[in-house]
Amino acid sequence: MAMEMTEKNRADRFVQALNTLAEAQPFAKQLYQNHFFQEAGRQMDTLDGMEMLYSYADRFDEAGVFEGGPWQDPSKLQPNLVNGSLRVDGVESIVAALSELRMVAIAQGRVEHEKVSAEEAKEYVNEVMALNLDFIFPEEVDDEGAQQGKETERAQRLFKVIVDQMSLKALSGTLIEEIVRLSVQRPIMVDRIQLMVEKAAQLMNSNVDEEHRKEIERYYRAISQLTPLSQKHSDYKDYRQELKNLDEGELKKEAEAFAESMRETGLVSPYHVILIRYLNRSKTDLLPTALSLNAKGKANLEENLSLVRELIKVAIHLPTRQSLYGFARMLERGVLSYHPVVPGLRRLVELDIIPNVRQTLLNAFSDTDGLTANDIMTAGVISVLGQPLGVGQGLNPTCQSARALSLWSIHAPGYLLELVARAARDGDIDMDFEGDTIHSKDLPGGLAPELHKELDPVSLILVPHLDRIYAEMVRRVQFRLDDPHKWVNPAFYGQWIPNGFTKVFDHLTGNVTDYAPFVRLFYATHHPEYNEGYEMTYPNPVGICITTVYGKMLGFHAISIQRIAKDPKGEYRVYFYNPNNDSSQNWGQGIKPAVRGHGEYEGESSLPFHQFVSRLYAFHYNPYEQGDAFAVEDETVEQIEKLARESWGQEYNWIGKNALGCGYGAM
Amino acid sequence: MEAKQPVALIGWSLPMMEAADRLNRPFVVVGPPSCESYARRYDIPFVGWDFERLNNEIPMEQRLEHAGELYDRLKEYGVRLAIPLFEETVEWAGALNGMFREDPRLFYHSLLFRHKAKMKRRALIGGLSVGVFEEGNNREDVRRFLQRINDVHLQADREAPIHIKPFDRAGAAGHRLIQSEKDIEEKLDDSNFPCLMESHLEGVEVSCEVFIHRGKIKFLNITEYVVFGYSMMAPPSPEIEKKRPQIRKACQQLIDAFQLEYGVIHPEFFLADDGRIHFGEVAFRVPGGHIYELIQKTYGFNPFEAHLLCFDPDVKDEEFKSLFPDERKANGHAGSLLVYPRVKRIQGLDIPKELEEHPGFDRHNMFTPVERKVPDREGYGNHHGTVFFYHQDCEQVRQPLRDFVKHDFYI
Repeated sequence: MAMEMTEKNRADRFVQALNTLAEAQPFAKQLYQNHFFQEAGRQMDTLDGMEMLYSYADRFDEAGVFEGGPWQDPSKLQPNLVNGSLRVDGVESIVAALSELRMVAIAQGRVEHEKVSAEEAKEYVNEVMALNLDFIFPEEVDDEGAQQGKETERAQRLFKVIVDQMSLKALSGTLIEEIVRLSVQRPIMVDRIQLMVEKAAQLMNSNVDEEHRKEIERYYRAISQLTPLSQKHSDYKDYRQELKNLDEGELKKEAEAFAESMRETGLVSPYHVILIRYLNRSKTDLLPTALSLNAKGKANLEENLSLVRELIKVAIHLPTRQSLYGFARMLERGVLSYHPVVPGLRRLVELDIIPNVRQTLLNAFSDTDGLTANDIMTAGVISVLGQPLGVGQGLNPTCQSARALSLWSIHAPGYLLELVARAARDGDIDMDFEGDTIHSKDLPGGLAPELHKELDPVSLILVPHLDRIYAEMVRRVQFRLDDPHKWVNPAFYGQWIPNGFTKVFDHLTGNVTDYAPFVRLFYATHHPEYNEGYEMTYPNPVGICITTVYGKMLGFHAISIQRIAKDPKGEYRVYFYNPNNDSSQNWGQGIKPAVRGHGEYEGESSLPFHQFVSRLYAFHYNPYEQGDAFAVEDETVEQIEKLARESWGQEYNWIGKNALGCGYGAM
Repeated sequence: MEAKQPVALIGWSLPMMEAADRLNRPFVVVGPPSCESYARRYDIPFVGWDFERLNNEIPMEQRLEHAGELYDRLKEYGVRLAIPLFEETVEWAGALNGMFREDPRLFYHSLLFRHKAKMKRRALIGGLSVGVFEEGNNREDVRRFLQRINDVHLQADREAPIHIKPFDRAGAAGHRLIQSEKDIEEKLDDSNFPCLMESHLEGVEVSCEVFIHRGKIKFLNITEYVVFGYSMMAPPSPEIEKKRPQIRKACQQLIDAFQLEYGVIHPEFFLADDGRIHFGEVAFRVPGGHIYELIQKTYGFNPFEAHLLCFDPDVKDEEFKSLFPDERKANGHAGSLLVYPRVKRIQGLDIPKELEEHPGFDRHNMFTPVERKVPDREGYGNHHGTVFFYHQDCEQVRQPLRDFVKHDFYI
């Protein structure tokens, strides 16, 4: 017995721990899980060990490895949580890795699971791979790499084993889908898309489908050397020099190529920025071509040419290149014609920014190349004004704030500019609530210290303030007998939000109460065929229940309905903005929000009307714009109620007036 | 055997439930209400009882009358016997058994284990060697006691220390070492009273796990406290093992003094250089510090199962014959090192390579915790992690038990 732990010895210890765990009664698994995780963790220190673990992965579920913990039910696993779990220093990353090995074993048909089929497991693992490219293709190890933790190395080993089992070919398909899916939503922040494109480019040399290869190449070029000239002169200085030698026709061709790629992918090549800055100096008449502007955009540009030239000079640089897309969209939205916008933008260029905001903005880019905080702030504002639905909450639980920025960008750009200036200069913003003025600088806490910093500049400046004010408003009304959002939303977002408010949960008991009238009211206030034809004027901030691919309740989420209209096929759809910028998820029961192909505008998601209603739990409405609730067909209400009850509704008691009665389904 | 009536496990303990399940003995768990959902998930018969709240509200002596409700609820399950598992459940089990067997004396008997002065007095009456002790109600009492002890010690160079302990707390909770007037001012406040005051006992401290049935010792384990409060080893090193017959005798004396028939006791003794054995204190429950796991590792039987059997008067003698091995023939030595964070906020874990490569290293159970803030600890509190050692040579266990006490595992 007395000997150092050899590899053989370690393997024996692992198998012994697994057997002991397997023999225990379900209620006592807990006693043996810790030791099992210790031994499993040891195995993860080597690639051989990781492979050995996979060879036992078909036994994990049966042995009770996940018993009693959040990984127990594989049908509840979320691919997007895997990356975070694997990075946690502690037992979580070990269990997460074991869970992935188990899913691969199910996908490979080595073991059957009652809740997840091999096909579902395969889909899951493919998605996990697509979301963990940083582990599959680790960054080149430079000085930073020296500090990468043992969790990172462990995760890299895990994915080596997974990639060995699953095909990278399948991955390239998922990867492209993922890239298309994300980029078609035109988010302001494209770091993740760029990373995926770069990783996908590494796949091009392996045996990938020709079709996939072309797609990858298209995206890769969009962020790199797109044109023959930029391929030939890849050094930025050389390229800039070469531009001077082009004649008018050649310049136009160059401009068209970049503009087309940017419009197709939403991604901006650094060479595009060099070209734009060159044109801005000496060939402004080519700017509309280089941005591929429509008539409205061209008109807006001509009308404000001196400001446009100034803004390009200030805001469009290599690090902020992505703002070029927002710039083009801003011109096309005609935002510069709003009276307060032009002075508001000019003010930003010279604004005195307080030191901590300045530092936050400068930290937002790894290489600022001599940029000032004002340059970055202006670029950020341009993005938000051009891509109101591209505002994202990042990894922060701040969907409320993201919704607000998006709404103001569309309907109150002057107000938004005012807020940005105040927060950046004064470190304070204020809002009125029920007769009091609330100043953000007076409020404690909020998310500011913990804010995840992968955010656009405007969010970096404003979210800490907005989040505190929102929380304070909720705090002030939290003990009233109805949902705080009823009072907070109109005060926070502004007068665009109607005062009528309803939700499916009884505020005191948490029971689902009177679901059928809730559905009818939504139809009567929102569906064009039942609401007497009132069109939606402003986005409506609503609450939805997010469900997993298996229809299980995952949590509450805040989104905004942008508009309701018929899609090209004549079906009514709800078009909405999802601040998590990852809108096309699978919510189970065949409900898959789409981001394209159904008449969506950039950044919108959409669902058929009734499917959307089945996930809705709270909304605002205008009591003066209401049609006949009784006119809604009983079958429609029943169909929606069934979808709700069999998904998130399983977690709640149903009482009151429901189309399907109280005794329906399992209680 | 007649249809089995369940036993009540007083306290929530998964290893004990597992033991009952292995023995195929039906059981009902009496545990804190927070455990109810877990019990329901696994169909474990469960009666919720909020020991923490009730022990705060009801004085010890009155718990018998308050146990009536618990008795009624257990009766519904046909329970015939209550088995105490933790310090704060001992008198509740005593009260229940008093009612099951219609002998209220069993309750008062259990109180002897819950009051350190009563316990000492009883041991003294039974002829065991104990230190000088008194009950103290305030600092003035402590001052006087310290004075009296020092009056007789006649030590010129330093004051003889005394110990202050609450009557009814497990382990080292509330234990204070008093060496001077200054200590009395600084280490004691009103929350320390009433208390037991006792003179300091010299010697090596060991604990015993004594498995008793029909008043006789069925098995005696001796655990050596390598670094008091931090690390222990079973069976002990040879110099202590040599004294097994005398220790066994002291244990039997204790059993007789307490007129114990059934159960497991966990007394602590001081082995003085001159061969005398002083009694420290005794508990009537599962010992802490993973001692049962050490016993299981070295003796190869399951002490949790033995615990259940020893408390049960209906168990036949033969059942013990196949259960207990020869207590003088252990297979190697096993040790546990209890790890307490010495930082306020845990940043990470440092498991030294020398530990994992040590011949005596068996395993540890530490991961970087999710909750990084370390709660204020009282007494030795709950340890955050444990390192286990195992080796045939006791030095390969005892040495690291000493050395790694100093190491900061949580950083």
